[in-house]
Amino acid sequence: MLDQPLLQVRGLKKTFPIDGGRRLVAVDGVDLEIKAGETLALVGESGSGKSTVARCIVRLVEPTGGDVVIGGDSILGLQPSRLVGVYRRIQMVFQDPNASLNPRMSVRQVLEEPLHLHLYLLRSERDARVRELIEMVGLTPAHLDRYPHELSGGQRQRVGIARAIAVSPEIVILDEPTSSLDVSIRGQILDLLLELQERLHLAYLFITHDLQVVQHVAHRVAVMYLGGIVETGPTKELFADPRHPYTRALLSAAPVARWGVKRTRTRLSGEISSAIDPPDACRLAGRCPFARPSCSDARPPLTDIGGGRAVACPVVIERIPT
Amino acid sequence: MSDALLEIEDYSGAFVGETGELTPVLHGVSYRLKTGMMTAVVGESGSGKSLVALSILGIQPPAFERSSGRMLFRGSDLLELDERAMQGIRGAEISMVFQDARAALNPVFTVGRQLADVWQLQHGGSRRAAMTQAIEALRRVSIPEPERRALQYPHQFSGGMAQRAMIAMASLICEPSLLILDEPTTGLDVTIQSDIMELIVELSRTRGLTTCLITHDLGVVAETCQEVVVMNAGRVVETGSAEAIFTRPSDGYTQRLLSASQLVEAA
Repeated sequence: MLDQPLLQVRGLKKTFPIDGGRRLVAVDGVDLEIKAGETLALVGESGSGKSTVARCIVRLVEPTGGDVVIGGDSILGLQPSRLVGVYRRIQMVFQDPNASLNPRMSVRQVLEEPLHLHLYLLRSERDARVRELIEMVGLTPAHLDRYPHELSGGQRQRVGIARAIAVSPEIVILDEPTSSLDVSIRGQILDLLLELQERLHLAYLFITHDLQVVQHVAHRVAVMYLGGIVETGPTKELFADPRHPYTRALLSAAPVARWGVKRTRTRLSGEISSAIDPPDACRLAGRCPFARPSCSDARPPLTDIGGGRAVACPVVIERIPT
Repeated sequence: MSDALLEIEDYSGAFVGETGELTPVLHGVSYRLKTGMMTAVVGESGSGKSLVALSILGIQPPAFERSSGRMLFRGSDLLELDERAMQGIRGAEISMVFQDARAALNPVFTVGRQLADVWQLQHGGSRRAAMTQAIEALRRVSIPEPERRALQYPHQFSGGMAQRAMIAMASLICEPSLLILDEPTTGLDVTIQSDIMELIVELSRTRGLTTCLITHDLGVVAETCQEVVVMNAGRVVETGSAEAIFTRPSDGYTQRLLSASQLVEAA
């Protein structure tokens, strides 16, 4: 039981109906597992479906299929009224703190709301908790009576984090939490997240396209491309030796802020293909430098290659010496 | 004779509020863009890096008021030119690529027509010849099926494709001597960003362009630029060769910016 993952996502699928009876397949059979206290980074480019995965897990959008299990309980079958209990265990921080904080609520009101919803606290206990939260995220009680527009972008994101940890969840989903921030602020917010993780033993599902951030904070990585996971593994090993052609292209495209670093790029041709009614084939087949005819026959499954790693590409798996 | 195509000297100014109060935002900004080189102007939001660039073309926001400074382009001060003379400079001598290419293109005209219009404005000639030039420019920036793409509208282009079209317009159609790029790859995916930067470097090199890249991304700078200008809070805090800035930064802000951009230890 100890090794039981805290969050399990199995065969998650989300399609959106669009005009003409066609379907946009945003998420197509995603499996994920996160243990207590662990950070899993979900990386991918725009349109890969990573944010839709996050929103499906907390049922901000209803999945079309699959299952999400938190601490042994499946949450997809729950009546919406029963979700309140789930949200004590799993919370979310959004990319844009301008959009995710109500401009008409003071910081104090923002932080009190989840306490009202989930915990039955005395007034004095609630006040004490709000003060504790604001200090945990590196702000001061003086910030409590301010409104979002009176705060900087970094301070607003700190408030978003304080709101997420208010009810002591076990898992926090971070959806691009540093993408709208300047680099100097990015580092501070990441340090705060690492500190809170250690102090509160939080598990993070960290959604980002920033590969530097991934290397800095994640224990494990899952790489998404067009609705599916193409590669997953421990961060260090995956960055040192990416296997899937898409992972290689992605990692080799990221510029490095150091003098004299030379990259050898794995190049894909063209741009990301359409997610509307995709064929049952490898989603990268049309762009991949290693593609062969069989890649268009069926979608390759994510296959275990040992060392906690898995790759959805039979072409590269065949080349791995055994 | 100077080796700089553009010299900005002591450029200062403020935003004028509704009640006439002044908020100073630029403080004696001076830097040079050396002929044939790619110079990065780096800084975080609010550093003033874009405001200076917009001022070069005379398209700064109306609320901005200059208090001092000169911008010498081939020896003449751009800030002293009248609107008519400035129109002769914009596009023909200095052109600009903006961050959001789909917003910078006109949504109600086809991409091909917009390129052809600019070609005709700059070079004259027939409509048909201008459209041929537009299609060739799209082909040169690796847009597949340029004949078909030229007939499409900006909303039918992806972000990366629209930026390629903007680069085609700014460099190949305008044929300027100075190309200013304001965060040209921000908002694009990293694989697309890399392709676009390679295109920019290749075009600058083959056409001998002087290029000014405004960016907050030091990774892009390390790979593409020869010279770097670092700005913070409306001031230039350090200038130098890219190698010097990355290996021996002298200013405290530059050092902090660099270490914040290098989250991951060197391998």
